[in-house]
Amino acid sequence: MNCCEFREKYSDFADGRLTSQEHSEAGAHLAVCAACRRFDAALRVGVDALRALPSVGVSRAFGVRLRRRLRDEFAVRLPVVARWSGAVGTLLLATTVGLLGWDMLEARAAHRERAAWLANGRNPAPLAVTDQVRSYVLPRPTPAEPRFEAFHPLNSILIVEEARPAVVGDRARLDIPAVWGGP
Amino acid sequence: MTVAVREGLRNLGHAPSAPFAELDDAKVVQAFLDGRDRAFDELVSRYQVRLLNFIYRTVGDRERAEDLVQEVFIRIYRHLHRFDQSKKFSTWAYTIASNLAKNELRNRSRNPLVLFQTIKRNWEADHRPLQFEDSSSRPDDMFRKRHLRELVEQSVSQLPEHHRVVFVLRELEGKTYEEIAEITGCNLGTVKSRLNRARNNFATIIAPHLD
Repeated sequence: MNCCEFREKYSDFADGRLTSQEHSEAGAHLAVCAACRRFDAALRVGVDALRALPSVGVSRAFGVRLRRRLRDEFAVRLPVVARWSGAVGTLLLATTVGLLGWDMLEARAAHRERAAWLANGRNPAPLAVTDQVRSYVLPRPTPAEPRFEAFHPLNSILIVEEARPAVVGDRARLDIPAVWGGP
Repeated sequence: MTVAVREGLRNLGHAPSAPFAELDDAKVVQAFLDGRDRAFDELVSRYQVRLLNFIYRTVGDRERAEDLVQEVFIRIYRHLHRFDQSKKFSTWAYTIASNLAKNELRNRSRNPLVLFQTIKRNWEADHRPLQFEDSSSRPDDMFRKRHLRELVEQSVSQLPEHHRVVFVLRELEGKTYEEIAEITGCNLGTVKSRLNRARNNFATIIAPHLD
């Protein structure tokens, strides 16, 4: 084995991937070739020094920043559901960061319970779909169930936002911005 | 907001949740998909430092590396329900991290001159014959760095990007050739070739500065 062949096979040699015969030949070359010995030594010393470098740690604010980004990310992408404000009937938009983040986590924790509740007809298919809006007709809220809620079909995350629905009898029509183009 | 939810948010990324600490990655992932939000905290705790060090050694910018690690976790959160649980979660996380690191390096070279120099350097690194110049007598005007730590950091940063990723995954992260192939989307032969060249380049840079 010459130096060129040794260099070509060096990674397999260093990582124990050569056959026993090839490994013997490489070892024999290393024993007689000062240049390749120096190469091997330089690599081993260098890699040992590299591995001895102190590990870089995350900043103290890492967790807080990640929480905020998760909330922002899913707040932007997930569809919204109107919140019936009862007597006041005001048009409000809930703060997406705090409320949607809370909704995201709470919805996961209560997934089964909500899925069962929604199976009772509170999560119908949209009545109409455009590029900007999906229109739903849902049962009108009652004092016992004051909020409109819906699951996104892909990951069952609950989003609540306050808006003024158009009430028709005991049903209410909600126009929900189609903000989520899918994961 | 329930107390349990607040606890989960507060602890994100800091303390691993006791119930999940003893579980392997696959079980933690399943726990999260079953609706146990704290399981995601455990994944963040397990991988934040590892991914940070991998990305930092690849892109060379610590602050940017931390941003990219956050991006990794956001993508994991977004797509975990699609993750093929027959595969290793670790490999998937590193694949996302590797892609983001490569994108970062690619974005930096958008300047046409920088891009040309990068392409030229990468081509030369791939096609230069493997050779190691054994200069037992060092030039007098060669600067001798006695601080090996700085030397090896600089040596890694001088590697071409596609060699550096493979080198860091093998030498620092301890990934197997097969894992590296999966993470980088290359075949085994390419991984071996790039690793060999990376090691050759690294040793060539290091050797003149060692006693």
